Amino acid sequence: MNMNDVLTVVLVLIGAPILGCLASGIDRRITARLQGRVGPPILQPYYDVKKLLSKDNMIVNASQNFYVVVYLFFIILSLLMLVFKADILMIIFVYTVASLALIVGGMSTGSPYARVGSSREIMAILAYEPILILYALAIYLLTGTFKLSVLVNASTPLLVYTPLIFIAMLVVLNIKLKKSPFDYSTSHHAHQELVKGMTTEYSGPGFAGIEIAHFYEYVFLTGLIFLFWAVNPLIGVLISIAAYLLVIVIDNITARVYWQWMLKLSWSVLLIISIINIAFLYVSKATIMV
Amino acid sequence: MIENTVMLLITVPILFSLLFVALPKSLYKYLAWAFFIIGAALSVNLVLDGTGVVPIGEPSFAMLENVVLILEVLVILYILAVSAKYKNWPTLGLGIISAALFAYTYTSVPKVESASFNIDQLSQVMILIVNIIGTAIILFATGYMDQYEEHRHLNRQKTFYFTMSFFLAAMNGLVMVDTLGWLFLFWEITTLCSFVLISYNQDEEGINNGFRALALNLLGGIAFSGAIILLGTNFDISTLSGIQTSSSATLLALPVALLCIGGFAKSAQMPFQSWLLGAMVAPTPVSALLHSSTMVNAGVYLIVKLVPAYAGTSLGTAIAVYGSFTFVMCSALALSQRNAKRVLAYSTIANLGLIIASAGIGTPLAVAAAIMLILFHAISKALLFLCTGEIEHTIGSRDIEDMSGLIKKAPLLTTLAALGMVSMLLPPFGVLLTKWVSMEAASSNPIVIVFLILGSALTTVYYAKWLGTILSSSMDKNAVHHKKPETYFPLSFLGLSIVVTSIFVFTIYDYFIRPQVEILIKTAPAITGQAGQFTSEIGAFAYAAIFVVLALAVLIYFATKNMFTPRKANYYMCGENNLEKDGLMFRNGICSYDKSSVSNIYLQNTFGESKLTMLGYVISLILIGIALAGGVL
Repeated sequence: MNMNDVLTVVLVLIGAPILGCLASGIDRRITARLQGRVGPPILQPYYDVKKLLSKDNMIVNASQNFYVVVYLFFIILSLLMLVFKADILMIIFVYTVASLALIVGGMSTGSPYARVGSSREIMAILAYEPILILYALAIYLLTGTFKLSVLVNASTPLLVYTPLIFIAMLVVLNIKLKKSPFDYSTSHHAHQELVKGMTTEYSGPGFAGIEIAHFYEYVFLTGLIFLFWAVNPLIGVLISIAAYLLVIVIDNITARVYWQWMLKLSWSVLLIISIINIAFLYVSKATIMV
Repeated sequence: MIENTVMLLITVPILFSLLFVALPKSLYKYLAWAFFIIGAALSVNLVLDGTGVVPIGEPSFAMLENVVLILEVLVILYILAVSAKYKNWPTLGLGIISAALFAYTYTSVPKVESASFNIDQLSQVMILIVNIIGTAIILFATGYMDQYEEHRHLNRQKTFYFTMSFFLAAMNGLVMVDTLGWLFLFWEITTLCSFVLISYNQDEEGINNGFRALALNLLGGIAFSGAIILLGTNFDISTLSGIQTSSSATLLALPVALLCIGGFAKSAQMPFQSWLLGAMVAPTPVSALLHSSTMVNAGVYLIVKLVPAYAGTSLGTAIAVYGSFTFVMCSALALSQRNAKRVLAYSTIANLGLIIASAGIGTPLAVAAAIMLILFHAISKALLFLCTGEIEHTIGSRDIEDMSGLIKKAPLLTTLAALGMVSMLLPPFGVLLTKWVSMEAASSNPIVIVFLILGSALTTVYYAKWLGTILSSSMDKNAVHHKKPETYFPLSFLGLSIVVTSIFVFTIYDYFIRPQVEILIKTAPAITGQAGQFTSEIGAFAYAAIFVVLALAVLIYFATKNMFTPRKANYYMCGENNLEKDGLMFRNGICSYDKSSVSNIYLQNTFGESKLTMLGYVISLILIGIALAGGVL
């Protein structure tokens, strides 16, 4: 590890939550405007976290906050691995640790609402994980390696050869950000009949931890979209922002669906188009390396 | 040196099996401890002795060959007698076919002049698995069987321990011997032992399932002896190493395919999976032994040993597709199961499918993954089965839904079970690392990789449900839970083994796996790196970083735990809690109180056994047909 790497780590640790916090604030502002409200200040998510941290640590189970720490740490680790252009398959597995920690954390409270939310989130794994790994496979097929480090030197953007997987990944982004129509495990909106799903029993510092992890997760997930055009960082960032805005708009114009509907959508449409895309890559033996 | 160790590894378990018969029940505990220590010492000794071939020449060969012959006749006679006694005609028919094939082999296939044991790194790994995990399971049994028999009014522990120990002896022989004729004897003895153990309860279900196991494995055995006859008469090959070094690899495809089918049956791959599912009627230590350290491992062991004969051929591709199909199918079936032992059984079959798929891919990277997965899967699965058995004794159920709140009733047991589950599906543990390696290796074959991806997601889902359930807290009163050292020592030991082997995975790779892959396919996997990092030509797995972050998370959690003084509360019930009673109930519509209960999602209508099993049979039979056709053409 040289000095540059250390600086990058520090920058990610500090910069990512700021970015994520702003993204979350913008989300709330846009949502409010779409609903004809003025909306909170952009920094509202930050004020929320600050307030949560000063609250009492109310718990129902002695170990429930342990899962929050694991969730936070593994989100950060997967983001760092993404920044350091590690093995994409590996990143996805590390990210799975984080997702599972949150699910198990929800179940560990024993609350019926949290357990229903967690069960649904487990079903979401079934919907998005194959697509994430197919996405990794597409990167391998186009570059000859799972290591992301070569992607920046590619001659053509990834998106050119993976338009169908890109569409599937947009839905994955939607599912992972827990936005409508897929916000049935927990939600940022008040209209949830499931109270707060997975996070029902979290309050105070524990919930602040989850919120901070969400900030990192925003950056991580949009980072996955960024890879589609990593050859030109500017376009990559623009695509990520566009994808994020699209998800916010979808969030506001759709109603929540049953989780069964999501599974059907994923395994019938998204998986099929992703596999078609992969099959095309096998047949055409396309490469984006020089 | 090495000769002595080899002989001791076969004779010592037999000695112990006799001791179990001779000594009274009160001494079993000490006997099991001694067996565990001696077994571990012997297997470590074999590793220290290094690799090599142990030829058995005259005069001991003639004597041993006669012993083998007599034992084979006895095995067949026993099978015929027992299937006639219970009027199980299909098994009797298969027994008669086996006997006929045996008689044909004896009269018409050229005799071998000598026999040999061949100790390579794979044998060493298998010996470690059999003699450390296997004896740990027997040790666990001494703390388990009394209660088990008390519930069922049985008194057959002498048969039980005799068969368990004999099983280990046969396994030891199986993984060391090079001569196919002798290998076949050990193969059939493990079949017989599993029959005795599965029908242990002597009730109708036990005996039926025992016969199913016997019949399906006899079917595999028939394929095996067919291969021996073909190899002996047409190619003059009588050893495993002979197949590996044979130059006419393409000609050997049919016998090799037959041997693989024998392996599929033993490893309970589709369409043979029903015997392993039926095997769970037996006491839990038996399931643990069958699923992790013996029986099913024999099948994948043979398939990995045969890699040189099919690596890179169309037969290899057929095997890879077949294995990955079993992986995805059984993972889907596991998703729909509520019975913990059934989930584990499907998980075993699925993981063995993954091993077979990796072996079939046949690249150095994939073969390395196959061998590593045999090791890591054995440890994790032994732990999970034993934990399930202990959970059953603690809460009286093996239904996953009944396990919620377990963390409060038996914290140590739950932690160990959770470790077992986490080690099956998350980094930085060994099973996931090998899954990563096999996925990267499989990415050259579109069908295999898509199957692996789907199966991997399904695996995450069914373990996540179970993991969340046992870790969920409940407001129930704590159950009283007795801890016995002979129960908790094996559990803790296996848990520790998972962590240690995962930390030292690169050392293990360097010492055992790389040389073995070099032996099998002449090229070492292009894996470089040092402790803490795996780097192949197409990827890198920095497992040390993950360990560090995990440790950091634990540290930070405990460091900050007291910064925010926790205050306990009951969980939220929309203000409808029955606060005056115990907080567990909620007020329902007619103002009385109901207990809240939530269950997991099992998708019975999509992934249920009634939906998928038939499909699995059809497709797996077609795939086996393709593999065989590839062998003939």
